[in-house]
Amino acid sequence: MAILLGILRPLQFVIDVVLRLGRGFAVVAIALMVVCILVQVFYRYVLNNALPWPEEAARFLMLWMTGLIAPSAYRRGGFVAIDMAVAALPRVPAALLALALLLVSMMVLVMGLQLGMKHVNSGWLFSSPTLRLPLELIGGQGFKIKLAWMYLSLYVGLILLLVVNIELILRSIVGLLGGDDHLRPMMDGELRVE
Amino acid sequence: MLVWFLPLFLVFLFLGLPVFFGMLAAPGILLWLNGQERDLSLLYRNVYNGMDSFPLMAIPFFMLAGELMNRGGITMRLVEFSQAMMGHFRGGLAHVNVLSSMLFAGLSGSAVADTSALGSMLIPAMEKEGYTRRFAAAITAASSVIGPIIPPSGIMIIYAYVMGESVAALFLAGIVPGIMVGVGLMIMVKVMADRYDFPASRQRATWGEKGQASLKAFFPLLTPVIILGGILGGVFTPTEAAAVAVAYAIFIGMFVLRTLRLADLPDVLSRAALTSAVVLLLVGAAMAFKTVVSLSHTPETLAAFILSLSENPLILLFLINLLLFIVGMFLDAGPAIIILGPILGPIFVDLGIDPIHFAIIMSVNLTVGLATPPMGLVLFVASSVSGEKVQTIAKAILPFLAIEILVIFLITFIPEISMTIPRLTGFAE
Repeated sequence: MAILLGILRPLQFVIDVVLRLGRGFAVVAIALMVVCILVQVFYRYVLNNALPWPEEAARFLMLWMTGLIAPSAYRRGGFVAIDMAVAALPRVPAALLALALLLVSMMVLVMGLQLGMKHVNSGWLFSSPTLRLPLELIGGQGFKIKLAWMYLSLYVGLILLLVVNIELILRSIVGLLGGDDHLRPMMDGELRVE
Repeated sequence: MLVWFLPLFLVFLFLGLPVFFGMLAAPGILLWLNGQERDLSLLYRNVYNGMDSFPLMAIPFFMLAGELMNRGGITMRLVEFSQAMMGHFRGGLAHVNVLSSMLFAGLSGSAVADTSALGSMLIPAMEKEGYTRRFAAAITAASSVIGPIIPPSGIMIIYAYVMGESVAALFLAGIVPGIMVGVGLMIMVKVMADRYDFPASRQRATWGEKGQASLKAFFPLLTPVIILGGILGGVFTPTEAAAVAVAYAIFIGMFVLRTLRLADLPDVLSRAALTSAVVLLLVGAAMAFKTVVSLSHTPETLAAFILSLSENPLILLFLINLLLFIVGMFLDAGPAIIILGPILGPIFVDLGIDPIHFAIIMSVNLTVGLATPPMGLVLFVASSVSGEKVQTIAKAILPFLAIEILVIFLITFIPEISMTIPRLTGFAE
């Protein structure tokens, strides 16, 4: 158990930092999404000039928002689930069931990462229809953004989810071994108060 | 073999696997056992493609708009307005509770937001006037169900996207059913008020007071007009309307009412992003799930089974009411719609039910499920807001649930209730 806790503590620290960063990016992303769409409406009605890029830019931001903040929701128990079975069982079987479910989730995430590799790689072959980095504005050469930069959002999200999943698995094993006192409390309450 | 993905999914679900993982694990495992590598890749791609959608963006925006209005004290204005209009009736505050929910429904698309926003304000106020706490919590929970029925509505955006229907048509179809639930609850309140001699909350407001309250609530109440008017007039897409609602909420919160501070924004944004990310991932998984549903011929198998029960669409609709009601007891409305829509929708459309009508049946049914014991999400929120036990609220809510079930039956068997407005405005045939 000492070994498990030895892995868990630094892992928790890293996750704390990374997810806080992720939430920061997600907050910026959702704010920019609103701005993009307002710009789109403004240009279309007030300036009579429908811009091509705001819609795709907003989708780009929404995908990254999801990928970067969903792991925080998972960590705080915000993923929708029916938890009657675990709640109804006695302590040890309940803990075993919870562990089994975490392992199934892990399998999904690992499989997703394998499949996602191909998806992301295919994205380097195609450029976004409307998004480009206008480097000519600062004297460089502008270029179209590769779709892979969009595809990566889900991939990064899955990596972070997997890391959180490993944390949850370690916690659940420590709990099974009777080490509940050594675990810091779960943060599910935080979903409401942040 | 693939037919087994549905039972497998249900097993995962009831054991407690998060819906997101269950929707991917069940078909994933079977495809993998079958050696269908290419379909597995398709599963992944469809999760991504399912989330990469402009119409879906309305969900984070409406959530954000709701959070902003709540933080900016707009809820308060709505309650004061309702007070001036209905406070003098016997059972005044109970009526105010229902009316506020109906008004709030025009700003937000979520029952949970409604319960926590109105409950934290009205439950203590009702207790002070002599209502029991369980009654106050029960009427709050029961009336908050109106939130996702009157537009805008999160679950209707999801349904429209997953099933390829028009968001505007669904929004319009929800108006009358939402008002019916509200009026039904008020009738029940009146019956109970006469019987148990509930207090009136205040003297009849003078026209001057009414005018003043209306003036104060004017800007907030303009929100649904902007949203619906913009969508119907073809000015905005629903997503754009939602973004405009966000800007409008920030504007009135910061400059008109001056109750929203710049420092509040990061927190509000973070909450909206967090809740919508969960929904977006679910929708992505649902779109992947949906491809497997069609690969597996499950709808055909299930349709054959359902049609073997009866050929009469009315009886089948009744059975669906029951099924949805039971599902709603255990599962949140959003995930339930995502899972059941693609399976049930096509069957009933084939039977001659209008897709918009069926969408409303499903949405209202599952939304009422939010307030139904044992797993009604809204009950839990009402319990945490009021401090009353879930079981106690669950008992006190029964008369109101009876009304809501009656409304569900009316909506199910009289299509005109939901279809008239979309038909008149040309959004449905």
